[in-house]
Amino acid sequence: MNAKLSLKTLLLLLLFFSACKNDNLEMVKENENIRSGADFIKNNYQLSLFSAAIEKAGMFDQLNGPGPFTFLAPSDAAFNAMGILRASDFDKMNRDSLKSLVQRHVLGRKLLLQDIPVNGVDVRYATLAGTEVYASLASNFRGDPSQVLNYLYFDGAFVERKDVPLTNGALQLLNKVMKYESGTVQNWLSKRSEYSIFVAGLKKFGLWDKLATAGPYTVFAPTNAAFISGGITASVLDALVPAAYNGNRLFGAYILDGKHFFISDVQVFSNFGSETAYLKELENDTWCTQLSVTQANDKSLRYTLRLKKARTGFSYTTSSGGNSSATTVDYLTDNGLVHSCTGVIAKLADARK
Amino acid sequence: MSLLRIQQLGFCLIALLLITGCSKVDYVKVDSPAYLRVFNNLNYEKTLDSKDQEVPFLAMLIDPVMDEKGIPVSTKIMGDFLDQRAPYAPPYPSHIGNSTSVNNPEYPGKEDVLVAPVLNGFDLSSWAQIPSGKHRIVFMFRPKNNVPFFNLEPRLKTKVLIDTTIVLDEKEVYTLNVLQKDYQTKKNGVLLRHENFYKLPLSDSLVYVNFYNLSSKGYWEAGYTEKGANIGSKGALGDGIRDRMNVFYTLYRKSSTESVVNNYFGKYLGEIKRNTGEPDVSPYYSFPLFADPLSDGIRTDIWQRLDLLAPGMDLASKPYSGIQMETDNNWAPISCFSNGTVPLDVLRGDENYVLLPNMIVNIHSGIHNPRSFATVNTIEIVNGKAYLTTIQRKYAPPIYK
Repeated sequence: MNAKLSLKTLLLLLLFFSACKNDNLEMVKENENIRSGADFIKNNYQLSLFSAAIEKAGMFDQLNGPGPFTFLAPSDAAFNAMGILRASDFDKMNRDSLKSLVQRHVLGRKLLLQDIPVNGVDVRYATLAGTEVYASLASNFRGDPSQVLNYLYFDGAFVERKDVPLTNGALQLLNKVMKYESGTVQNWLSKRSEYSIFVAGLKKFGLWDKLATAGPYTVFAPTNAAFISGGITASVLDALVPAAYNGNRLFGAYILDGKHFFISDVQVFSNFGSETAYLKELENDTWCTQLSVTQANDKSLRYTLRLKKARTGFSYTTSSGGNSSATTVDYLTDNGLVHSCTGVIAKLADARK
Repeated sequence: MSLLRIQQLGFCLIALLLITGCSKVDYVKVDSPAYLRVFNNLNYEKTLDSKDQEVPFLAMLIDPVMDEKGIPVSTKIMGDFLDQRAPYAPPYPSHIGNSTSVNNPEYPGKEDVLVAPVLNGFDLSSWAQIPSGKHRIVFMFRPKNNVPFFNLEPRLKTKVLIDTTIVLDEKEVYTLNVLQKDYQTKKNGVLLRHENFYKLPLSDSLVYVNFYNLSSKGYWEAGYTEKGANIGSKGALGDGIRDRMNVFYTLYRKSSTESVVNNYFGKYLGEIKRNTGEPDVSPYYSFPLFADPLSDGIRTDIWQRLDLLAPGMDLASKPYSGIQMETDNNWAPISCFSNGTVPLDVLRGDENYVLLPNMIVNIHSGIHNPRSFATVNTIEIVNGKAYLTTIQRKYAPPIYK
């Protein structure tokens, strides 16, 4: 009996010992970093150039960090359009300006489509560079909630793909690179020799000085080539007597005072309502600058600038300007915007008094 | 239970009463009040042309204290989040129960302030009590968000729209309109109107209405597209009306434009003149509450159609049809139907009207549900938009069976 009991006790004790064997269970740990911002961009073939820019700017680790960030990432096609075809092209850029370019394309917050006000225009968000981007959203067609558009633009760049989720924020894919240069519209123009005839004309007719003031101004700057093909060469301009010409028609018509228009703004507002072309009377004149924008199937925009002889009717000057290139419009400065223009809207004959 | 126990309990009870019984209530009271209602008439349409202008979303400060930089630090009376006014200003401050937004379509509107009492039978609960006397009143631009004005960053508290003084007399009723005085120069101003409806011998069997054209100078002359064309469905009124217009009215039965009430088609009512400078009260015109001979004298379902026509024109001679949105500023119809959001049943090519609520208030009162009440109304035309303010008499409460 006793022996039986001790055997049972022994068995029980054995059970105690064996039951408590606790192997360390090894689980496969999931990689939590697979979709953090910089890694995601690096792994995405459509964003190889933006990824190269991030690395060259030395921001890879920062942008892989906790964030939150919103990447306004231009696609490779957007960089290609600017002439940046491979990663080594970034080596030609100053490292600081490259870093600033990357910082201007990253917001220090998670911004999804739903966070942007419905039909919001010029909603500003701070970037890592300390600048602001202008977001404009055409949510629906003519205020009809059943006709959803959700066309979103940042600084005039169309968002081709919205709200890509990342572990440290979100990514919005842009169809072009956002451009910004500190300084005024006047500084911007004076730095670029391809607009020298335009600048000389503005100076000659007393329109130059205002471009250094607060503004904002939207300037459609015709290139020298445009002026030459319109018959206004540097020497013709030199010889011209300002008193004999209407300077507002000849040069002032390219400047919209008090306006801050990305080309996409015209498109956004045409979705809101009736405005398909924007008309603005010249100063002390019945003639109007007419700005119209058409959207192609790939959502790229083309603007056309014309000089209209009256607000109503269909009487225009014979020449027109415009630009269909995404890369030479929407130059943002501190007091407005510059859009390159490939034609002149007024020839000498149109402006003769 | 022992006597001691009862005594103890009684002592506790008395102590409790002594502690709780003496709570002091401070009643808010305004000494020698004047009654003020404020509207922000700076309406705008979101267009490409207006996008870079300052949005007229305002903060009203009465008797503010400014620091040395001119930034307000405190104020005696505050009317924050003052948005564009709503098309209908109801006889009682119903906005607060009807929305969750902080945006206030009028002052006091959603503000929790003392309001005016019933004066000569008129319910003035949409007017705030303000101490009478001279006040400095400042309207400031503020960003469109939910942050109270004094919690904004200092750089956002610097844009002054209007800084002026007003004088309010004791127990008098005032309506203050913030408006644009010149369309081209964008000059803004205020117009303080000393109301007189509560002093007039107005009958409760007639519906009264008066008209103001508070449009800015040069609005109707400006280009149609510049004014936003037909964005926001402003009808023919969107293009503006001439400085002097005649008002004709027609009374219709139910929702059908077919059934005109006999003898009430295209009747001359009065005149409307553009005025942004003089605080004069326009004369009140009237029509009978029970104009419809088919009504039972308790309730009526008639609605009103107003036609603003340039002098020399009447309903028969106007050379425009009801589908024309551009009428050379000569004709603008207004339909006061239902609650102002229900489109008319029968259109008959009638598309260019602006819709406002019916001037007759139908509401459960006494044993009648509904019962029709005559009201005193003001229609203000401001830059292509029409606004109706309805004032109602105090009425018997409903009896539920």
